[in-house]
Amino acid sequence: MAFISRSLYSSLKKKYALIVITAIFLLIPAASAQQDVSCYHCHTPVVTEFRNNVHYKIGFTCADCHGGSIETNASVISYNVMSGNFIGRPTRLNVTMVCEKCHIEETKNYKQSIHWEQIEKGHLEAATCTDCHGIHEIRAIKDPKSPSNHQNSPATCAKCHSNTELMSAWYYGIKTDRFDTYKESFHWKALRNGYNVVATCADCHENHLTKAHTDPASSTYPANLPMTCGQTDCHPGVKFDAKIAAGLVHDKESLHSGDLLFNKTGMNPQIAAYYLGPFDLAYWIAIFFKILTTSVIGIFAGMVILDFVSRFKMQKRW
Amino acid sequence: MVKQRLIEVSGSQKLAGDNKMGEVFFKRFTFNQLVQHWIMIGSFMLLVVTGMPVKFPDAWWSPVIIGLVGGFEMRTTLHHAAGIGMVILGIYHVTFHLFVDKESLLERKIMPTLTDAKDFWQTIMFYLGKAEQPKYGRYSWKEKFDYWGAFWGMVMMCVTGLVLMFPFIAMNFIPFAYVHLATIIHTDEALLATLFIFIVHWWNVHYSPEVFPMSKAWLTGNLSEEQMKHEHPLEYEEAMRQMQENTANSS
Repeated sequence: MAFISRSLYSSLKKKYALIVITAIFLLIPAASAQQDVSCYHCHTPVVTEFRNNVHYKIGFTCADCHGGSIETNASVISYNVMSGNFIGRPTRLNVTMVCEKCHIEETKNYKQSIHWEQIEKGHLEAATCTDCHGIHEIRAIKDPKSPSNHQNSPATCAKCHSNTELMSAWYYGIKTDRFDTYKESFHWKALRNGYNVVATCADCHENHLTKAHTDPASSTYPANLPMTCGQTDCHPGVKFDAKIAAGLVHDKESLHSGDLLFNKTGMNPQIAAYYLGPFDLAYWIAIFFKILTTSVIGIFAGMVILDFVSRFKMQKRW
Repeated sequence: MVKQRLIEVSGSQKLAGDNKMGEVFFKRFTFNQLVQHWIMIGSFMLLVVTGMPVKFPDAWWSPVIIGLVGGFEMRTTLHHAAGIGMVILGIYHVTFHLFVDKESLLERKIMPTLTDAKDFWQTIMFYLGKAEQPKYGRYSWKEKFDYWGAFWGMVMMCVTGLVLMFPFIAMNFIPFAYVHLATIIHTDEALLATLFIFIVHWWNVHYSPEVFPMSKAWLTGNLSEEQMKHEHPLEYEEAMRQMQENTANSS
């Protein structure tokens, strides 16, 4: 009995020490937060995200985007902070107004894009600044964690453009296989393996000035493609005749992915005629190699297995 | 009458002392052929290692291999260099055997014949335990298939590879659609060749209990008498007959 009570006593003592230490450690962040942006008290996760923001690192505060006072006196937060030109959460329609205050050129370009055109028409789900750059965690473009980083750009566009439900909001339907078909191109294969000079979405479709390929002012309008592909940093000095450049990169590349290739009936006849080559060669070649590889490897691997198995029956072959 | 080419036989006593009296070697490949094969091995391996990460860019090992060979740009350089090496090898091989080595094309023992089809069937039956092992001459049907498979593959890979290496120059001469076809042919044929070499060819020359750990013919160019009797009995008989004739003639 004495043994038990003594051990209980000692463990109790440790427990108090533990509680005190825990309390001290809990108080540290709470105490240090007092010196920081006052919004931290309630909007902890948001402010934590904001601390990774490139703007935070050069001295921006919540008030610079959300308006209101930058006063940090905790006792009068609600009165002080949310006063004056406090705008709260910007809507998808007016978030450009916030960014426009500094990023004039980018916003000017963005406002000519199809994304902005659709937002103005009432499709609020069309992309705006925050969809590509992040909301509170806006990082510099060169930061590998930025969704707008060259490496991450395809995935960022695919967030919406591979989303069937979202894309079907447009009556004509926007193709959702764009990322998959881009993946068939050499550009992606190189990008995926860390080769950064190759083109991603924004290099051909423009980042802020994105337009539909049917718009004559678009960088992907067939007549403009030679210029787009022939950019100084890409394939300069290469003569793209109109016919070559008219090629829809995505549709050409998608020939190689099983789905479209083996379901040529679903293809636009014009595209099929041009890109399958004469007599639908691409289609037949792909089928030919599928059969050839399967049969050759199948037959010979079968022979190897037979050879191997037969050795158990015949202990000594020679 | 076709004049039979002599089958080269060399005794080991000429090569290394007299302690292996009586052991004879049969010349399988000339030094020229051996060097061709070595260059082929080197360029093929390099091409597979640097090419497959682009065929399967999403695989986990793809960036690993690219990192090992020193980045994507280095990968491309290596792939192009090895590719050019293989193109030169192919041209050399065809030129040599067409114009320098003046053996008549149709009488070459590498040409496939009807016997090969029979041997193919007999081999399967042999594996199933229902027939004798077929007797091969200089080249078995497996070796002929290896050779012509590689021949066809080389033509495919070199032509499409050059198109892919200079796509914008190629576009001046052929429609864009064909450049795209080259991608399909190049990668699919590459996969086929890789699988075939790693599974079938390596089984025949490395893993098979008959030759394990490897058939040294690719290093020395020679076959031992025992190997010769077992793997190429018809050629062995022919060689023996020629030797007897030679000794009869000379004496």
